[in-house]
Amino acid sequence: MDELTREFLIESQEGLDRMERCLTDLEERPQDAGLIGDIFRSVHTIKGTTGFLGFKRLEKLAHAGENLLGLVREGKLIANREVITGLLQLLDGLRSILKTIEAEDAEGEGEDVVLIGRLEELQLPAQAEVKQLAHAKASAHGSSAAPPAINPAEIKPKQPSAAAPAPEPAEDTQKTTASPSASTEPASGAAPSTSSEAENDPARQRTPIAGTAAESTLRVDVTLLNRMMNLVGELVLTRNQVLQATSADPNMTLLSRRLDMVTADLRESVMKARMQPVSNIFSKMPRIVRDLSQSLGRRVRLQVEGQDTELDKSLLEAIKDPLTHAVRNSLDHGIELPDARLAAGKNPEGILKLRAAQEGSHVIIEVSDDGAGINVDRVRQKAIERGLITADRASHLAERELLQLIFLPGFSTAAAVTNVSGRGVGMDVVRTNVEKIGGKVEIDSRTGKGTTLRMRIPLTLAIIPALIVRSVNQSFALPQGALSELVHIPPEQAASAIEWIENAPLYRLRGKLLPLVFLDRLLMPGVEHKVATERDNFIAVLDPDGRRFGLVVDGLADPEEIVVKPLSAVLKGIGLFSGATVLGNADLALILDPGSIAMKAGIAMREEGLVQAVESEVEADSAKGLEYLLVEAAGRQAAVPLTEVLRIEQLPVSRIEYIGYRPVLNFEGQLLPVEDSGGVLAAVQDNPKAQIIVVVCREGNRHVGIAVSHVLDVAAGGDLFEAGTAQRTSGVTLLKNRVTGVVDLGGVAPLPAGEQASAEWSQSVEAMA
Amino acid sequence: MSTVAAALAPTASINRKEKAVAASLVEMCTVRLGSTLFGVPITHILEIVGAARPQPVPLAPVFVGGLVHYRGDVLTTVSLRQLLNMPPKEGRQDLLVLESAGGIFGLLVDSVGEVLTVSSSDHEPNPSILDERRRVLFAGAYKLKDTLLVMLDPEQLEPMRLSAARAA
Repeated sequence: MDELTREFLIESQEGLDRMERCLTDLEERPQDAGLIGDIFRSVHTIKGTTGFLGFKRLEKLAHAGENLLGLVREGKLIANREVITGLLQLLDGLRSILKTIEAEDAEGEGEDVVLIGRLEELQLPAQAEVKQLAHAKASAHGSSAAPPAINPAEIKPKQPSAAAPAPEPAEDTQKTTASPSASTEPASGAAPSTSSEAENDPARQRTPIAGTAAESTLRVDVTLLNRMMNLVGELVLTRNQVLQATSADPNMTLLSRRLDMVTADLRESVMKARMQPVSNIFSKMPRIVRDLSQSLGRRVRLQVEGQDTELDKSLLEAIKDPLTHAVRNSLDHGIELPDARLAAGKNPEGILKLRAAQEGSHVIIEVSDDGAGINVDRVRQKAIERGLITADRASHLAERELLQLIFLPGFSTAAAVTNVSGRGVGMDVVRTNVEKIGGKVEIDSRTGKGTTLRMRIPLTLAIIPALIVRSVNQSFALPQGALSELVHIPPEQAASAIEWIENAPLYRLRGKLLPLVFLDRLLMPGVEHKVATERDNFIAVLDPDGRRFGLVVDGLADPEEIVVKPLSAVLKGIGLFSGATVLGNADLALILDPGSIAMKAGIAMREEGLVQAVESEVEADSAKGLEYLLVEAAGRQAAVPLTEVLRIEQLPVSRIEYIGYRPVLNFEGQLLPVEDSGGVLAAVQDNPKAQIIVVVCREGNRHVGIAVSHVLDVAAGGDLFEAGTAQRTSGVTLLKNRVTGVVDLGGVAPLPAGEQASAEWSQSVEAMA
Repeated sequence: MSTVAAALAPTASINRKEKAVAASLVEMCTVRLGSTLFGVPITHILEIVGAARPQPVPLAPVFVGGLVHYRGDVLTTVSLRQLLNMPPKEGRQDLLVLESAGGIFGLLVDSVGEVLTVSSSDHEPNPSILDERRRVLFAGAYKLKDTLLVMLDPEQLEPMRLSAARAA
């Protein structure tokens, strides 16, 4: 294929992408002359160039489309739904021919008579409607009904917006291209505009703007970027070695420091060159939403936020499918039919929101709808039906945990299989794809309010944070994404800390048994290894996709940002390593794949594993939820809002004094009323030396103390909703999957009053039925 | 890698030209393994790395000599000793970076010698008394004045092919 054709293909693809965006926008703003102009230009450019390159079939089709668009542009035809559908079909037709050209270097044999006929048919009503239109638009558009004489004064201010650079979202175009108009005149002569447009004044103004954008950008092959990335990685390593070698020589320090800086800058620039805005994939969504909502009979408005958030090119490709899937799911299962929405008192038009934002070294992508939400009871029922979980187990799971069941393979709650979704191969694929690139998926749903799917994607694939661990006298890199905590067991404690069932090693992690995998035994079976009591043991607690286990290694080194290098197929076949990397000291290290290690070691994704995985997600969420101090008083648990806790005092019970029958504490010279509805004081009254714990809290502008027997933990609370009413309950919260009472600080009676108020210790109840 | 390839290109074209003549000359890089002298066609060699320190890979097939870092990539190496079931060698080993149809890989040998020009008229195919495994890996031998130069076929040494051969 010659250079010219290739250039033409790339340009046409971009033009069609832009056209697609504009078409979906046009549906909302059918009168927007800027959009129409942009669409017209895309088709026109294709037509012009194909004629030149000799693609007759493409030219014919584009010509038919151009005729239709011409009428729309002149205002003779309203861009109603039929017209837009026709234009989208035209778009698909053009795309498929372009694809054929790309593959075979010829436009193929197909006939487009039907499509061309359809496009011509759409032009017919134009004559009939022209009068009507003239009346309707008389006020807004002045002389727009008078055929070719477009009022330049009318069009001019709008037109430049249409020529915005390609990746810019259509909504923003109005603002972005206000400036370049001044410099346009001189360059316009050289611009490659074709005859029919050239005589049109606004057209001449537009072309140079596109030209300036093209001059400052350059298309680069991705493989070249990958190669550059590799070489930069190499340079970084060489730099590290140079720095080490020259550290003693004062003459070299300045030079090597400069080398250091330049290398860091270079690496950053190359990484930046690989970044692309998420609008590249978000821009595909309006079309999908439009087509799907029409075929499903939904009314949906798409809102997009954070389009300029950037992500590595390869990651962007990787999340395209999961994102499309999530959007389909929202439309099919989430947003209800207009009637149902009206009945539920909602706007018949549903809102689907796509949001992207950068948070540290991750990009968050959210797909949320204001639909019916996920019916947790149905999820439970389906999960039991499909044997994914036992009925007994399901009855103990909290709502949030049940929601995560939809990520299990083979799960679908759709009553009927539609052509959009419901085949049960959905969310697990989303999860697998996202986890493959080191990301995480979460789902959040409120019955009747809507569902949010949140994907956490690392900024780049190539560089990941990892912990370097030692085993069998080698270094290995353990990706930190799957690592939840580290436990050190010195040799003298190993005998008691590691317990065995037959030959299965286990460790009690906060009261729960954690299966252990010894990395040395796994890597070198059949060789004698040092027993745990003769060496240091470090347990890395991992939970790749719900398989929770502890990986035992001999030593830990520093965490490092590692550059991931692929392994050859032979070594990938081993299945334990996901890649290799070069460490700062120029040593090579294999990257361990926690998921495969779990599988190889036979750690099943048990229900328990699932629950724990969910728990850890809840913990990860703690920043968002309200945090509570979990306390125990006389055998019952209760929660105190952490934000109100000032300090925790351990003191002998004798320090508690009484005013009448009210216990008080002389605390730093102030009198603190002590709440004891848990009965802690009463229980130790006879033993004056007994220690009690008083949690000092802030309540309004006074302080109160709460007597407890133990402080257990800090955890994030979840909201609970009363079954059926969706009303948020007060006084209780979901802590570590147990419904726990919250101490009512306001209920602690002020001191002067003689009356004893009661902050009810709500009884801890088992997790929801 | 391109520099080496470019440097080798003229010789390769000379070879092709000379093949048309009766007995063509071929350039071989000699490598030593134990007492045997092996030859690798230089057209397949990208680089020679002295005293390589490959990183062992646990659980890898026995012929894998480990990983080496080569120009930003991590290369899988084939240990010729392990491949031929010879006892491992202590101390330094040299590495040939080879290019085959299946990709780039490393070949660990005891030591790399010189580049010899040999004539195809001195070439003889593998003798039938060789075991089958070696018959696949070797591509005959050149009769030198005082010794034999055993030809290695880089395509057959490619790790993926070796693992497929082992499986079969």
